[in-house]
Amino acid sequence: MRTFAVNARYLIVPIMSLLTIGGILLGGSYTWLGVALFGVCTVIDIGTRNIHRRADFASDGTSYGVKRFQYGVMYMMLPVFIALQLALAWQIRKYSVSASEAVALSNLFGAILSAALWAGLGIIYGHELSHNRREGFFVSRLIMALSGASHFTYAHVYNHHLDLGHENDPATAPRGRNVYAHAWHSHMGQSHYSFDMESGKAKRRQKSFMNFDNRWIIGYLFSLPTLVLFIWAGGLWGVAAILIIWGISNFLLEALNFMGHYGLIREEGKPVEHRHSWDNDNIFTSWFFIEIGRQCDHHVRGETYFWELDDVKGPNYGVGYFELFLYTLIPPLFRKFVQVHLDHWDQNYATEAEKKIAKEIYLNANPKIQSAL
Amino acid sequence: MLNVFKKVVPTQIAKLEPFGVEIAIEKGERLLSAALRQGLDWPHRCKVGSCGTCKAVLISGEIKSQLDFAYVLTDKEIDEGYILACQSMLKSDISVRVVQRKEMK
Ligand code: FES
Repeated sequence: MRTFAVNARYLIVPIMSLLTIGGILLGGSYTWLGVALFGVCTVIDIGTRNIHRRADFASDGTSYGVKRFQYGVMYMMLPVFIALQLALAWQIRKYSVSASEAVALSNLFGAILSAALWAGLGIIYGHELSHNRREGFFVSRLIMALSGASHFTYAHVYNHHLDLGHENDPATAPRGRNVYAHAWHSHMGQSHYSFDMESGKAKRRQKSFMNFDNRWIIGYLFSLPTLVLFIWAGGLWGVAAILIIWGISNFLLEALNFMGHYGLIREEGKPVEHRHSWDNDNIFTSWFFIEIGRQCDHHVRGETYFWELDDVKGPNYGVGYFELFLYTLIPPLFRKFVQVHLDHWDQNYATEAEKKIAKEIYLNANPKIQSAL
Repeated sequence: MLNVFKKVVPTQIAKLEPFGVEIAIEKGERLLSAALRQGLDWPHRCKVGSCGTCKAVLISGEIKSQLDFAYVLTDKEIDEGYILACQSMLKSDISVRVVQRKEMK
């Protein structure tokens, strides 16, 4: 029974994704179901902000997580996310063929927003699968390609995990940057890193950059079917829809990166430790985001499955991802919220060298940021 | 109910040179994780296959790599049998030479 409960609690996103697909297929105002569910999750997350609990382990220290079940679910999310796109494409097709007779524009907009928000959650599976097993890595790339972000899988493993907390890591947001700027810098930086990896590999092998083993190019080619589907479904409408979906889903991805390491500092060459990440581990965030909020443990034990990650008493925002995400959307509010945590980090976690770097950052910050600090 | 998804996991053996030590690797476990679990001080840093600190030379036996080694190891190293222990699962019993810290550049 305990095994069942521990494993079933990670099914929130799969179930809600299926409900979102159902809403889009039903049409009418049901197309807004995905948006409504996202709102409900936000309310639950805020309501459970003070409930924190460790991952569950049996008395002998083993986890209740069942690897084959969890992997089965994660692999199944690929067809679920494909079905989400197909459902939306079908509504767009109906709209473009019969205009507003069959589908009201407002409801089509609801379907696009619903699809975008839940497609954005592909990151939690794309992330977990990037770390374990060769097949998982490939499925991760396919899931991320549905959001036009297949480069993420390589950049996350080879760049983010190695360079975390340092300026060489585009996914670590430096102090003073807002989430909107970070979304752009991080996305482009990771794609650039993946490009450089492939160009370096091609050079070492004395091949042209345009070769059949170029994972940067192949990754983007994986996104072509999505593009073709939406162009077929609605021409310019379809292109607009997929741009909105990719924009929102990549923004969610980068918002997670932003929240996970904002303002934390690591000296180059020094090991990654718990203090180089922020944990978000209230109960709803932990279950909904399949423990991706246990960043402190994850970055030190990158090989560990999500259901085995634990509370390591690292830096902790004390609130869940949904709540924190709302703060990030209003940069002055986020800066005010996070400054207290950064000061605490500087005083209680940072080494002398890290404190020195933090001081330099503040001294070099532009006046606008300084006045907000 | 979910116990049907669990299967009995046989172990395989990795012989570590130059120490002559043998360690047991459970199915699905990586070489580095098994070594650390059994108290060995195997050099490592990222554990996700990006830093190259855990590299070793495969002397005999077969492994299944979980990640492409080509971004971290050179073609020459790969030809010489270098592997990344944190990204290696065993297909058979193996023998490996651990690259010790003093050998690293
Ligand atoms: S520990 Fe970094 S590559 Fe294995």
